[in-house]
Amino acid sequence: MEISSRNYDVRSIKLDLLKGIRECSQRGLYHSVKWLSELNFSISKITIIEEVPIDYFNCGDELENYLLAKSYFDLKEYDRCAFFTENCCSPKSQFLNFYSRYLAIEKRKLDNMTDVNCPPDPTKNSALRDLAAELKEKYTNKRLDGYCLYLYGVILKKLDLNSLAIDVFVEAVNVEPLHWGAWQELAFLVPNKHKLNSLLLPDHWIKLFFLAHAYLEQLNNEEALQLYYNLHSQGFEKSTYIMAQMAIAYHNRRELDKAITTFKDLLALDPFRLDNLDTYSNLLYVKEMTTELADLAHKAVDIDKYRVETCCVIGNYYSLRSEHAKAVLYFQRALKLNPQYLSAWTLMGHEYMEMKNTNAAIQSYRQAIEVNRRDYRAWYGLGQTYEILKMPFYCIYYYKQAQQMRPNDSRMIIALGETYEKLEKFENALKCYYKACSVGDIEGMALIKLAKLYDKLNEHDNAAAAYTEYCLKEAEQQRTSYEDKNEYYMALQYLANYHLEKGQLEDASTCAYKCLEHDETKEQGKALLKAIAAKRGKQEMEPVPMDETGNISNISVDSSVSNMDMVFSPNT
Amino acid sequence: MAADKGCDINSLNIQNVNIDNYRQLVQLYLNLHIYQAALFWADKVVALTNGNPKDVYCLAQCMYMLKEYHRAAHLLRSRNLEKKFVLCNYLTVKCLMEAHDLNEALKVLNMLDVDVLLQNTSVAASLESSLFDNTPKHKIQSSVLLLKGQILEAMDNRSLAVECYKQALHCDVYSYEAFNALIKHHMLTASEEEKLLNSLDGAISEQCDPLEKQVLLTLYKSKLKKYHTPSPKIIRDISLSCGTTKMDSKSLLSKNENPDTSISENGTGKDVKVNKWLLQVQESIDMAVSEAERLYYNCEYQNCSKLSEKILKQDPYHNECLPIYISCQVELKHSNKLFTLAHTLVDLYPSLAIAWFAVGCYYYTIGKSDLARRFLSKATTLDRLYGPAWLAFGHSFATENEHDQAMAAYFKASQLMKGCHLPLLYIGLECGITNNNRLAEEFFQQAQAIAPYDPFVMHEMGVIAFHNNEYTKAEQYFKNALCKTQSVNGSILPAQWEPLLNNLGHTYRKLRRYEEALEYHHKALTLSPLSASTFSAIAYVNALMGKTEDAVHWFHKALGLRMDDTFSTTMLSYLIEHLSEEQAPYPGAPNFIPNFSATVAKEAGSENCIMIEEEMVAVPEISEQEQLTDMSLEIDMSSNNQT
Repeated sequence: MEISSRNYDVRSIKLDLLKGIRECSQRGLYHSVKWLSELNFSISKITIIEEVPIDYFNCGDELENYLLAKSYFDLKEYDRCAFFTENCCSPKSQFLNFYSRYLAIEKRKLDNMTDVNCPPDPTKNSALRDLAAELKEKYTNKRLDGYCLYLYGVILKKLDLNSLAIDVFVEAVNVEPLHWGAWQELAFLVPNKHKLNSLLLPDHWIKLFFLAHAYLEQLNNEEALQLYYNLHSQGFEKSTYIMAQMAIAYHNRRELDKAITTFKDLLALDPFRLDNLDTYSNLLYVKEMTTELADLAHKAVDIDKYRVETCCVIGNYYSLRSEHAKAVLYFQRALKLNPQYLSAWTLMGHEYMEMKNTNAAIQSYRQAIEVNRRDYRAWYGLGQTYEILKMPFYCIYYYKQAQQMRPNDSRMIIALGETYEKLEKFENALKCYYKACSVGDIEGMALIKLAKLYDKLNEHDNAAAAYTEYCLKEAEQQRTSYEDKNEYYMALQYLANYHLEKGQLEDASTCAYKCLEHDETKEQGKALLKAIAAKRGKQEMEPVPMDETGNISNISVDSSVSNMDMVFSPNT
Repeated sequence: MAADKGCDINSLNIQNVNIDNYRQLVQLYLNLHIYQAALFWADKVVALTNGNPKDVYCLAQCMYMLKEYHRAAHLLRSRNLEKKFVLCNYLTVKCLMEAHDLNEALKVLNMLDVDVLLQNTSVAASLESSLFDNTPKHKIQSSVLLLKGQILEAMDNRSLAVECYKQALHCDVYSYEAFNALIKHHMLTASEEEKLLNSLDGAISEQCDPLEKQVLLTLYKSKLKKYHTPSPKIIRDISLSCGTTKMDSKSLLSKNENPDTSISENGTGKDVKVNKWLLQVQESIDMAVSEAERLYYNCEYQNCSKLSEKILKQDPYHNECLPIYISCQVELKHSNKLFTLAHTLVDLYPSLAIAWFAVGCYYYTIGKSDLARRFLSKATTLDRLYGPAWLAFGHSFATENEHDQAMAAYFKASQLMKGCHLPLLYIGLECGITNNNRLAEEFFQQAQAIAPYDPFVMHEMGVIAFHNNEYTKAEQYFKNALCKTQSVNGSILPAQWEPLLNNLGHTYRKLRRYEEALEYHHKALTLSPLSASTFSAIAYVNALMGKTEDAVHWFHKALGLRMDDTFSTTMLSYLIEHLSEEQAPYPGAPNFIPNFSATVAKEAGSENCIMIEEEMVAVPEISEQEQLTDMSLEIDMSSNNQT
């Protein structure tokens, strides 16, 4: 990226930040203020004297109106705020008017929500539609400023008009590049890198943050990390935001330990931070670090009981203790606080799966996808639920979605392969397992499945190769469970048969001998050994037919030695 | 009040001055609305003057004011005054009409040929002049005709009544009541209204000067029908004044809207004067009501509600604004506002149809059709000519799928409102719902005959054509409707037109013009977002275009909003099955069965497909280097464990 290489003057960035903080806080855009301030704090060693404009609020004659409305807004009396700004013309008052009306609608919707499992009916939002119509009229007349454009985009997004919303957000960031909220929404909406590159964005330092954020949203972890490393080295090394984003990127790359360390560093710097802690708790959950998770949960409760992140951490904690009903309760609380909270929907789906409540699980996963289509865990979960419901075609679709999100995650593709196998589409299944092997099998199941399928499709050579590979791996891993052992010895048995058929008697006998170690395959092993002996007797009578076979037998002798070595070495 | 001005002249009569004082007293009390006192002294005057017709008339007037209609009629008729004097005749008839004795009223009215009396000055000229000299003859004539019209209308003799009203209006172009009677009950179609105004042209030129003519025409035109075709708001910039008409949504609503453009195209100097006058008239509530009505028919309910609320703040019981306001609240489903309004109206005007209409509308809005019908029928019994109540009555049946009864109500409405196409449109709709397309088409054609430019009618015609599989015809209808609406609203369509866009989409889909179909469906989505049926329509078009994956995506969305949609469910199952058949197991999957190589498994974590292919080339060598691979495997495994 050519833009990433360019250096920006930190001083001018600081000036921008101060201006942005002022503008956003006067409009009640507190999340953007928080982000900007955090960034500003990270470069606090740079001091500049900013001249505060004389007309601080810049609202002309409407200053009284604005101040009154702003105070109502701050106290969350949105309708009142809207009423007193109704006929105002200054951009700030106008924005407050629209924004408070939007928030009033949202608040009402949230308050009227009775049950978490049935979120407010999205079709019953006439108030929001009316507001959208009003903004649309102003939009077509080009009478919206950057902040109002942002609001219009947010409403469009709420109404599921995403492509329109993207256009509006792009306009918004072009007019007001310092408003981080608009960038954030835009990053959330852009579906892929191709679309991202086609957007006409302003040439501004904040664009770097946006790009990194967008890459991370798109699970394009490498590029995101690269950008963050650059920013990190360009004076933002203290930024907690960048640290958190990097931790998330590590998490996405399944570099769990690295992610956990980053989160620990982050909490050391900012101990009362709750943002992104849900991801941290996921990490601890996956690593089954119960004590750390419990500690985190207690701390989070102490900081703020009624934050979605806190609820999520507690939910994860209970889930790890297998108290699924309690976990669901906390996820529900999180959703009551914010029905758009993605993690809780997905995690709640998982809990319902644990509780064998398939319908509720489907509901939760679907909601998660409604919130964010890129949530591969929800897609995967959906696939699992439909597997339970025995609807394999749906299953395939959902697994495929998940696989597309994470092309290099073997779990998705193995699930896909299993479903194809159920549908007796062995070729497709085989391809899936093959791919799983090639991207790195996390659970170690792909290889044996692949071997079996090769066998089923009469690709004996391939099957044998796969089985051999499997046996090599297994012998090292020393599985203890009965099923695994069984699998292993069956593989050996297959190999013995295969080699016997091919006349590679040494190999065959090695495998057959090993078969004797296991109860199930003992008899077969004996029978095989007999057959090998018989064949060997026959072979010795016959002259060596060709050079080639001789070669092979030579090699097989070599390999048999190595095999022996390999099998026994772990035991020693 | 002709009599009171005649007083001083009459005082030449034999009576002494005292009587004149009494007469003045009577007038004074009448003006002060103290009718009992007026009656008392009027009676004494009659006694003193031995029944001077003028004084008797005055006495009758007092009785009329006291709503003692029979008494007044009897008084006049017992002295045979109604046969001699036009005004007495007029008052008698008025009393009889108020007393609901319509036949008698008509009889009395016909006894006296007003034309002859007025024209023929010789017969009773002496007495006539004593009574009427201050009232212009054409006004009297007009009033009598108006009264006749009212009686005829009450007797359900609509067509004759219309004639009378027209004549009345011709006699006196300022007679708003006659004009209103013609307009308000939808007796005339839009084109007939237009014609009426044109025919008045001559009379107006006769009766008033050119400047006033323009004013009058403008005022009347603002009252004409607005719903037969969506009308643009034409705003004239008064300060510029010289005829540049432009669409401008920036100006505030109540400022300067005027459907008439002809004025500004005329002269200049005079124009400014007229415009000034008009500008001030615009401030009159009446004009604001016209604007509210226009907004309502253009589906701008929010704005209409705002404006009518403003009007009702100034004049809380504005008769013409109330129905608009009520309908608007019904559209916006503001049941609370309707509830309060209905309560106050019923408390204040229990005898007015509008009050009960409001109550009925409230119940209609909250979905209690039974109660709604009860109160609406009460409204219709109070005022049999109250069309809106009949329409609402029909709607309340229609929402309950009682199509026959709904149609009956609409028929009644259509009889009452001859010049209004809405009842016909609704009847057609009901026919369409009951699958009687042929009949529906007939009704729509009738509706179209009345209102040829109404996009709603065009739309419905299109729907019928669609159902008859005449897709090109349907497209034409829909397109026309769209043009019509767009010509008014510009690029921003009200959300009410979402079905039109969707239907256009459906039509294009049937015509296999999928791209256009998608375009219109997406447009519909911007008008009315999160609509399950639009989602599934888009999905269906995608499916037909062979974009199975997109189709699956949209069907999912549709089902997310409406779980029980059987069409979407079936389609989705079919498509998903299809998708799993036709698609590669994962993006970038090879077409052949890949050969296995041990190193494949080794390449853990690699994302590069090319790498795998390289590995495949290396297959033959593997058996020779097995030992080596094992080692590398070990290393790999350990590194895997670390990460």
